[in-house]
Amino acid sequence: MDAVRVTGVALRNFRCYARAEARLAPGLTVVVGANGAGKSNLLEALYFGCTGRSSRTSSERELVRFGERVARVSVDVEAPDGGHRLEVGFEPGEAKVMRVDGAKVDSLARVDVRPLVSVFMPDRLDLVKGPPALRRAHLDRFVAALWPARGDTRQRYSRALAQRNALVARVRAGAASPSLLDTWDVELARAGIALMAVRGEALTSLSEPFSQLAAQLGLSGEARLGYRPRSRAATADELRAELRERREEDLARGFTTHGPHRDDLELAREGRPLRAYGSQGQQRAALLALLFAERELLAARGRPPLMLLDDVMSELDFPRRERLIELLRSGGQAVVAATEPEHVPGCGDPDVALLTVAEGAIAAREQVSA
Amino acid sequence: MSSLSPPVNRLITELSRLPGVGQRTAQRLAFHILRLPPEEALPLAEAIREVKEKVGQCEVCFNLAVGPRCRICEDERRDPSLICVVEEPSDILPIERTNEFNGRYHVLGGALSPIDGVDPEDIRIPELLERVAAGGVREVVVATNSTTTGEATALYIAEQMRERSPNVAVTRLASGLPVGADLEYADEITLGRALRARREL
Repeated sequence: MDAVRVTGVALRNFRCYARAEARLAPGLTVVVGANGAGKSNLLEALYFGCTGRSSRTSSERELVRFGERVARVSVDVEAPDGGHRLEVGFEPGEAKVMRVDGAKVDSLARVDVRPLVSVFMPDRLDLVKGPPALRRAHLDRFVAALWPARGDTRQRYSRALAQRNALVARVRAGAASPSLLDTWDVELARAGIALMAVRGEALTSLSEPFSQLAAQLGLSGEARLGYRPRSRAATADELRAELRERREEDLARGFTTHGPHRDDLELAREGRPLRAYGSQGQQRAALLALLFAERELLAARGRPPLMLLDDVMSELDFPRRERLIELLRSGGQAVVAATEPEHVPGCGDPDVALLTVAEGAIAAREQVSA
Repeated sequence: MSSLSPPVNRLITELSRLPGVGQRTAQRLAFHILRLPPEEALPLAEAIREVKEKVGQCEVCFNLAVGPRCRICEDERRDPSLICVVEEPSDILPIERTNEFNGRYHVLGGALSPIDGVDPEDIRIPELLERVAAGGVREVVVATNSTTTGEATALYIAEQMRERSPNVAVTRLASGLPVGADLEYADEITLGRALRARREL
């Protein structure tokens, strides 16, 4: 699969935008505007148009411009086989309508001409400091992007887990025989070992680039990315035996207490988890390092993600800004939002697109030729 | 809805209970049926009545049957020592079309699913175990779906058979690439599975 890049985006009644369009550069695009001008909304629209999902956690209802009924985003992409258009329409209470070149699709996830997207925005720091479930979900999405053939590993485990939990509840209520757990333990253990294997492999490949990038992006001291599996089992049989040992506890508590649904990945500095001991700045650097490490691996497989970076520049000192922009321009496509153009070194370069947002409008600033 | 008369509403409600039919489609079908002349609409009702009156379950394998046994169980040329276990009667059709299978079937009528409260006794697993224990069976081919519930059902059957009829072989359908299909068009999951289960040439 070859790289897919975004050439343009069009918004209709999306957040603060009634109607707006923008063209992206093949490499770096810089979005400049005052706070509240709509920079984040433009980045979110790109994410929405490429994935069919919102990049923020808030209610999707708010995606629709106040007083309007339907929000629409269309994204033009350039793939090796030519241009394509992805469209996502959203009306609260209705199923989203997604199209590729005018033809309806159920999901954009399996669409080949869709660019992968990687987002940095301040509320994503939850990935570092929030609960393990966020990190597991992020890791599993990365696994699916990196190895599409293993994309169902997590779903298979989740389905088996839901069934086993339902069975635990029924056994507890005396509605089913405990011996039935033998079968579901085998199914859960098989799916669980597969999930642990892909997670472990992904983290092993990420750990070295992560440590290097963390150092470059301002995380002093030795930074490490590690897998913290709940189970030490190496085979499905071992995991099944572990589940068997904990059966009484599971039945007492009413759910499956052991297995990769309780895994974590740890971002640590000097041997201490950043989740608990990191400053805001250290957590930010770690998140950036993780996203760039992921980009490195995806790029090696021919699918560098579109990087969307919101509100990161103002928090970095000048050398870090330079390093970050250098990384972004080293390959792949990126959109960076900043309050001041001065925060983005090199934003005046001719190969960089500079967009100015204000009052729900997006303007491409004329490049000043030297 | 309330502007329609009760018989029309009833038709729409009944149609919307069919799998894959939502409220909108049910309405469209109902209005289509209303437009049909009686001699075209009533055969549908008659066909439903007839199928419910005449078609039952085979007493041996629980396939659809007109009479006590299905056509496959009545066919003396089919090998009774080989049993293929499927979830639904509709799963028999594709296997029959291969012309590769000359054994008999056993239709479970579903798959194990604790979420839906489906236990082994709720599908025809006890009947399968009895049927095999009665003797004359050398192999059971488990052809349940390649889903979580289908796999668990296969595992359960295999465990039970090992305990009760250890001399009977239990096999599972392989999963892999559709024949004649270009690799290019295979979905990643299937292709990935086929890669992992590759064999030496």
